[in-house]
Amino acid sequence: MGITRRNLLRGTAAGIAVAGTGFSTQLLAGQKTVKIGLNIPMTGDYAPWGLPGLYGCNIVANNINAAGGVEIGGETYMIEPVGYDHGYDTEKAITGYNTLRHDDAAMIMMLGGSTVGSIIGRAQRNKMLVSTLLPSDITPDTSNLVAPSESHPLYNCTGVDWLADNFPDAKSAVIVTTNDIEYGQQSAAVYQAAFEARGIEVLDTNFHGFDVTDFAPIVQGLLASKPDIFCMATDVYTTPLIEALYNQGYEGKIISCTLDLYDEVIAKTSKEFVEGIIFQFPDFDDPALQSDDILFPDPSGFWDTFQKDYPGQWSAVAWEYPANLVTWVSAAQAAGSIEPMDVLAAMKANPNPPHVFGTGKWWGKDLYGLDNCVVGRWPVVTMQNGRARIVEFRDVGAWLDKNLDILKRKMQDLGLRTV
Amino acid sequence: MSIKNLIICIVILAGLVALPHFLAYNFQDLLIFLAVNVLVVVSYRLVTLTGEWSLIHVVMMGVGAYASAMLSKMAGFPFWISMPIAGLTAATIAALLCFPLFRMTQFYFLIGSFAAGEAIRLVWIYFIDPFGGSSGINNLPPPELGDIDFYEPIPYFYMTLIIVTISLFILYRIEKSRVGLTLNAVHWKAPLAESVGVDTWKYRSLALIVGSFFVGIAGALKVHYLGVVTPHQFGIGVMVFVLIWVIVGGYASFVGPIIGVVVLTVFDQGLRASGIVDPAVQPAVYGAVLIASILFMPEGLEGIGKRFFSKSSGENA
Repeated sequence: MGITRRNLLRGTAAGIAVAGTGFSTQLLAGQKTVKIGLNIPMTGDYAPWGLPGLYGCNIVANNINAAGGVEIGGETYMIEPVGYDHGYDTEKAITGYNTLRHDDAAMIMMLGGSTVGSIIGRAQRNKMLVSTLLPSDITPDTSNLVAPSESHPLYNCTGVDWLADNFPDAKSAVIVTTNDIEYGQQSAAVYQAAFEARGIEVLDTNFHGFDVTDFAPIVQGLLASKPDIFCMATDVYTTPLIEALYNQGYEGKIISCTLDLYDEVIAKTSKEFVEGIIFQFPDFDDPALQSDDILFPDPSGFWDTFQKDYPGQWSAVAWEYPANLVTWVSAAQAAGSIEPMDVLAAMKANPNPPHVFGTGKWWGKDLYGLDNCVVGRWPVVTMQNGRARIVEFRDVGAWLDKNLDILKRKMQDLGLRTV
Repeated sequence: MSIKNLIICIVILAGLVALPHFLAYNFQDLLIFLAVNVLVVVSYRLVTLTGEWSLIHVVMMGVGAYASAMLSKMAGFPFWISMPIAGLTAATIAALLCFPLFRMTQFYFLIGSFAAGEAIRLVWIYFIDPFGGSSGINNLPPPELGDIDFYEPIPYFYMTLIIVTISLFILYRIEKSRVGLTLNAVHWKAPLAESVGVDTWKYRSLALIVGSFFVGIAGALKVHYLGVVTPHQFGIGVMVFVLIWVIVGGYASFVGPIIGVVVLTVFDQGLRASGIVDPAVQPAVYGAVLIASILFMPEGLEGIGKRFFSKSSGENA
């Protein structure tokens, strides 16, 4: 192995410095290039969980290329992210997969869900490495599918744990989420398990469709049971839900998986109302992310570049696809090869794989049938004076070791697949 | 079929056999979906021959798709058996639905078929076991036949082409048969047909059942290439596309819907490739095409062809 992950991060940081002096980040003719495919939604309802990831990958790749590329197996490679917009459509996902594979992509990154389901059989057959942001896509048959950066929705347990420790008087909760398996129901099962593990009673769980335009009746129905905690499991409609809470004068605790576009939420409610909302996705200029144990190259610089180049586009996935890219680079260096199966073997060979928020462990066999997702520390984030700020890191793996039986039972109650 | 038409068909088929070898990989996939969609619109036209426009056709495609997916994934049936059973399942569900649906006609039938279709889709979504809920059923096996790799688009396209061609031939023969003529009579002269002893309920049902059988086959063809079946693949949005293809192509003749689906698919890909229109607003473009078609091409694209050829033959005379 030539370059360690730590060296890579140093190299990337050097690259940023070089880029700052005006070094061209353009790929030059004759240079070896390795393509990393992103078969993701860039249009449609799911675009916020696709396109910002491509933007983030472009920033990371530009920084690596500006530093002179990355050395893999004695060769220097430039990184080229190549995007394909499948619009969260299974037909287009296959076309995207085939296009990227024939374009010699060394890995294909995807959001997850049915679009992964449509291509994974091919990926197994073609020996293609695929990454997903949804570990629930992993089955015993999907050995080429990994979830190295996001452990959705397992990390939601950390937010509930923190809430229970810091607000012990909150003893009842209601949950609202979308009625889909990939995001909503998986997330609801984790929240239900996390609440039960801490002795918090779940009074009601509302699964709503994607066609809801007025959330006031849903919120009114849930608040009728007078919960101490209002929980939004992975829900693309957090903004109208919080707006409805605000309009109905809710005063309890709010916890959510994501809070994308929180500026919009503040504009529609107030800074005071959103103060203290608990969720799981930090801004990357957070002081807590600027330490050595954070394994993402220059989080603050990444945040600044993103805000400058793509204002208003930041979402939860903005750093997750780039994190997968960084993980791929690290594994390819360890493998000394860009061949997908060599890189996969190098990834899996590391019992303590690097993770954005510190090293983690391969996990999943007891729930999904295969140890192909990385779980580690995950931040608990709260709204503080109009900004998302990390209050603490908690260990997802430790929670799973302790509470897996509860989680499995909750998942099975909702009809979700477990092993 | 005249010798001239037969020759045209053979030339088109020969062209289709050669075509994928001249296309980029992503267009080879598209060719498969296009072939499947041709079967969807032609089978839909059979239903419309009786004058009843339903909104359940795409859901019937889903019934076939789910049947084939469940048989192959859960019971281990080979595709070659699950595919015809898919058609039969869709036809059976259609036969059961005939009893409530054909108590209605025209607009009421349209709404009734929509409601029945949504009810079926909700069953797929809410019953996670065995339908997989909103995620559907993943990792469906492709067909197996010797050493042929049906994960690859060209072999799958050839298989689809053969099945679709046979299906189109059968549908064409039905339309040109006495049954097809009766279906037309049910549409245009229902009271007269009834007065001479034609059971219009039976013929309307027959059209729905046969149309559903073939669209069920189309569903199986589609999802075994996709490798996944989900309720979202068979929503009302997809049905709207089918309506647009049929209306823009024209539904007076057998080839009209085929022209519609081919031209609009090429148009759609052209828009995508050109980048002129944001993909998010492409449905609006489709809507504009539909309105323009109704206003300026009441007979659809096939009407333009007819006028062109009749003008040419008039000039020659």
